[in-house]
Amino acid sequence: MAKPMFARRLSKELNDLAMNPPAGIDIIDANDFKVWRLGLAGAPGTLYEGEKFQLEFNFGPNYPLESPQVLFVGDNVPIHPHIYSNGHICLDVLYNHWSPVQTVASICLSLQSMLSSCTSKERPPDNAAYIKTARANPKHTTWAFHDDTV
Amino acid sequence: MKVKVKRWHTVAIWQWDMEDSTDLCGICHGPFDSCCPDCRIPGDNCPLLWGKCTHCFHLHCINKWIETNDSEGTCPMDRQIFEAAT
Repeated sequence: MAKPMFARRLSKELNDLAMNPPAGIDIIDANDFKVWRLGLAGAPGTLYEGEKFQLEFNFGPNYPLESPQVLFVGDNVPIHPHIYSNGHICLDVLYNHWSPVQTVASICLSLQSMLSSCTSKERPPDNAAYIKTARANPKHTTWAFHDDTV
Repeated sequence: MKVKVKRWHTVAIWQWDMEDSTDLCGICHGPFDSCCPDCRIPGDNCPLLWGKCTHCFHLHCINKWIETNDSEGTCPMDRQIFEAAT
């Protein structure tokens, strides 16, 4: 049996990430093809300059046909209008606008650009209500994407 | 002088007839000249498929994507409805 698609793709992606890591991205833990942890540094000249965040990626056996589960973990979840305090991220390309040509690196860059364009550090207005009812997996949330300016 | 050929060895390589067949399929990240992850032997049994949008994938890879509910029948590159080029 040939190596399945998710394992082949993830081993290539890991190699690429290790050889040419995008600025501000580093691998914290990627010992299997199920869960990876990556470090994301706030870009210089933005509201998040000097801050360090941790992202967790959970891959299923249908990756990349199905999106990975992506959320912020650890003590420092960025304060941003599209990021809930439980680490869930409201970003369409992680859910209904996923495409299999996206990669772990491209997701990290999307998140970095989402942080970089932020003009005011605040939680989403419905944060308190959301984190009470949300399930652990953000892919189980029905997301409404309304604001693409930040 | 007469030469009698007793035997010969030939070696051939093949590649898809396209601009750059060493490019990678955007879905599996394997080279177009190699087969999709589910096939073992590259060639006509694991062909490529171009969309009208000019984006190209291993046939088996794009089929698997199009069959998912999330794809809504769109090209992974441009998110327009994927129609095979004829």
